[in-house]
Amino acid sequence: MPAATKEMKNEPRVSHPPEPPLPSDDALVARARGGDASAFHLLVDRHAAGLYAAAASLLGNAADAEDVVQETFAGAYRGLARFEGRSSVKTWLTAILVRRVAMHRRRTRRKEGRVVGLEAAAGLADGKRSATGAVNVRLDVLNAIAALGPEHREVVVLRDLQGLAYDEMAEVLGLPRGTVESRLFRARRRLREQLKDYLDRPGQ
Amino acid sequence: MDTCKYTHRLSAYHDGEVRGDERVALETHLRTCPACREELERLRRLSRLVATAGRVDLPDATRARLHRAVDEAASADLGRMAKALLALAASVLLVCGLWLWQANGAERTDSIPVWETVAAQGRSAAGGTREQLAQWILCDLERTNGHDAD
Repeated sequence: MPAATKEMKNEPRVSHPPEPPLPSDDALVARARGGDASAFHLLVDRHAAGLYAAAASLLGNAADAEDVVQETFAGAYRGLARFEGRSSVKTWLTAILVRRVAMHRRRTRRKEGRVVGLEAAAGLADGKRSATGAVNVRLDVLNAIAALGPEHREVVVLRDLQGLAYDEMAEVLGLPRGTVESRLFRARRRLREQLKDYLDRPGQ
Repeated sequence: MDTCKYTHRLSAYHDGEVRGDERVALETHLRTCPACREELERLRRLSRLVATAGRVDLPDATRARLHRAVDEAASADLGRMAKALLALAASVLLVCGLWLWQANGAERTDSIPVWETVAAQGRSAAGGTREQLAQWILCDLERTNGHDAD
């Protein structure tokens, strides 16, 4: 037997304690309610990216998306005591976001339909086509979503970006489940028309 | 595409929202309907496209701004709590002060000696003489000092 192996056999095994499981969203909410601000920071880290992506697609505007997500978390922090745990924390936060988006739209009455300020996030630093003339698929998808009406945009974003189930979407939007389903059906029909070049490519 | 009776349910089926007998019937139909299979495949591509290409990354500066906003909200909360506690403490002190003031006033009334009342009335009680008045004063002073007069 090689000497190195013999030595290794005699060395005491070092056991590392298993990593503690990450606290659930509900546990973090309970801790935040008790005054543990670090628990709420963990919730921000967990959900900020998803909420920002949703807000950016709903509003088509990077600056507005930032404002709305900040308002969402501020509202969630102030409303911690009212969260009853009947829905998931993600659904609860998304519901706050959707209300904030609606309030923002009423406040700013900004014209929507094209994305503003999201070119960097889509990979085009200066908003122009790449040198080869290839269309940036991300920008096209964002613009196609922005071109939908607000109601169609909501259901597409909540389903395909946020991954909410129909019942959760119904709760967030305050709509019957059947309405959610029919709106999503029609929204996808319109979106498909906008993005057919990408969808009809073989192997897409 | 030519629509068939299941076309309108494909979107929900794609989202896993069709269950039970209806799901079984739709899956049976898909085995024999190439148009619905194509439509389903297009729905899958569309959802994949939106979920990947439609996702905008969160800038680091925005993430930092969100955390700062949480800290500010937490500080504002502490400030409000401190003000509320201060107001409560002030109310408790006020109530205690009023109670003590009233209690002292009652003691004073209880401990008014007889000779004071008599002197205030400007006459001796039950025909009491000046000597009797002096005796009362003496008794009262000795009582105040902790022992009774003979």
